[in-house]
Parts: sequence; structure tokens; C-alpha cells
Amino acid sequence: MNIRKLLRTLHRDLGYYIVAMTLVYAVSGIYLNHRHDFNPDYKIYVTDFQIPYSIRKEVNDEGMKKIIENINEDIVYKKHYVNKEGLIKIFIENGEAVINPETGKGTVQYLKRRPLIFSINKLHRASIGTLWKWVSDIMALILIFVAISGLFLLKGKKGFGKWGWWWTIAGIVVPLIFALLFI
Amino acid sequence: MMKKIIFIGLFTMILFGCGNSNKQQSAVSDTPVVAISVDDLYKNATNLEDKEVVVKGTVTHVCKEGGARCFLMGSSEDVLIRVEAGEKIGSFNQEQIGNELEIVGIFKMVKTEADAHNPGHMQGEGEEANNEDAQAEHAHKMMAASQEASEVVYFIEGLKVKEL
Repeated sequence: MNIRKLLRTLHRDLGYYIVAMTLVYAVSGIYLNHRHDFNPDYKIYVTDFQIPYSIRKEVNDEGMKKIIENINEDIVYKKHYVNKEGLIKIFIENGEAVINPETGKGTVQYLKRRPLIFSINKLHRASIGTLWKWVSDIMALILIFVAISGLFLLKGKKGFGKWGWWWTIAGIVVPLIFALLFI
Repeated sequence: MMKKIIFIGLFTMILFGCGNSNKQQSAVSDTPVVAISVDDLYKNATNLEDKEVVVKGTVTHVCKEGGARCFLMGSSEDVLIRVEAGEKIGSFNQEQIGNELEIVGIFKMVKTEADAHNPGHMQGEGEEANNEDAQAEHAHKMMAASQEASEVVYFIEGLKVKEL
């Protein structure tokens, strides 16, 4: 088997193999790029509420559970404490709430995982332990191989030497300009 | 060719999988049993520096960009310890806020709050840490205020986490 044929076979098969991970990196990459515009992992819902009475700061767990779960039946109470500013901070399932005990005004914040995106962001960040770090390194190496081998697949007029290198250079120039200007 | 690739892939996963489980087992066998509170951790800070500790506390904050660190609260919101998830834990989840966690980790000290928050900064890491949200900043200030002269800041390099 000559080198070019072997390259084609490897490029084809490893190309199929790496499709899923390429999509993981690309799609989650878009979300992570916008991490300062929105939370890439969770949808956050913030709601203001008003309790029709003031509460004592030293209200016990059971009392607070009743108060907070009355606001919305979806709220599940975990625990609470009074912070330095005298506000009651309540931890709930998938969020937290703050109540001003004097005015009865409060804010509740719920978090909801973005389906699929939450998981692929974790894979992208390699924040699920040591094993995945090494597996994703291998995936990245395969991706590098597929990219480099792709350069040398075609011969002739549309091959790398006569045509492809223009596109390759163009792809290098764009990030290079940003790197030179902003780094 | 395809069969070979699948075979190599599976073989690699099994190989790394075995290695990883051995590491986890050895970590468990070395783990001290009794968990102390965040308050007790600070009381014995000088003796525990650079040692493996087991601490339990309530999670008051998880960093929003990837959950690379969280804060455990002791008896009040003035008693906080930062826990770095590191490679072993991976990351914390926002859903863990308000949960009681037991952390096994190495108790570390650094000289300034800026260094403490971003221990990998000197090695060029930590874009995420530089873009911290206001709530975490507030937590850092409280931590700094709770420690005399704000020159010595403690944190935990997490090794293992358990929900209580």
C-alpha cells in the first residue's frame, strides 16, 4: 500500500471516528466563547416576590420551609442563614433565594441545565476527571492527524501545492491578525 | 481498518480505565476518616498546612465559569474556605450550592489573596479565574477580611468530594 493510499484510508476512517468529538468541541466552543454574555451551562430564571408579612430573622428551618415553598410549589427548601446585611439567604434545589425580613421582599433564582450543552461543555473543558483528560488528548491527536492528512489527499490542479495552500494560508492569517493585534 | 480503529479505541479506554481505578482505590485507602468543620480547620491552620485534610461545610458559591472552585462555609458566612476542584474532582456544579459537602484535599497557604485565588497564574493558567464574577469577588473580600492583615490566605486543593 503506498503512502497516499494509506493516508486516504486513515483520513477517511479516523474522519468518521472523530465526527462526534469535532461537533462536541465546535458546538460547546460557541457556547463557551459567549460565557460572558450568558451562562453556557445553565438557564437562569430570576423572579421577584413579596411575602405579605414581615418575618423574624430567627425563623426555624420548618418555618422557613413553609414560607419559601408557599411562594412556588416547585421550590424545594434546603437550608437558610442570615447574612451580614441581615437578609435571609435560602438555599433551594437548583438555586437560591434572598428575603428581606423587614419588608418581606425577596428574589429567587433558579438554575436549569441546558440539555445536552451542559454535558458537552463538561467534555470540552475536560472537567470530569483524569481518565477523560487522556481520552480527549487522544481524540485531539486524531483530529490533528485528520486535519494535517487532509492537506495531502489530492494531487494535481486542486491539490495542496497548487490550490490548497491559498486556503490554508487564509485560514492562518485570520487568527494571526487577531493574535498580533490583541495578544 | 475500521475494526482495528475500534479495537484500538476500546483497548485504550480499558487500559486507562484500569489505571484510573487503581489511583482512586489508593486515594480512598489513604483518606483520613474524621471530617472537621471549616472553623476547626482555621483554628489548626498552622499545624495542617500542606497536609491532607477532610473538611465538611455548606457550599455558598460555585464559580460560574466551569465550576473550577467552590466556597465552603463554616459557622457563619465570615468563615469560608475556597476549594479548588483540580484535576481529581474536575468541577463543581451550581446545583451543589446549599449542599453539605465533605472535601478531602491538601490544605494550602499563599501569601496574598490575588495569588490564592489563581494559584496557576504564574504558570500562565487561569483566564477563567481572571474573569471572576462579583459574588466570588465578594467572597474573596470576606475571606481576606476574616484573616488578619489579609496577607495569608488558605485554600484547599481538592482530591475527593462527597455529598453529605
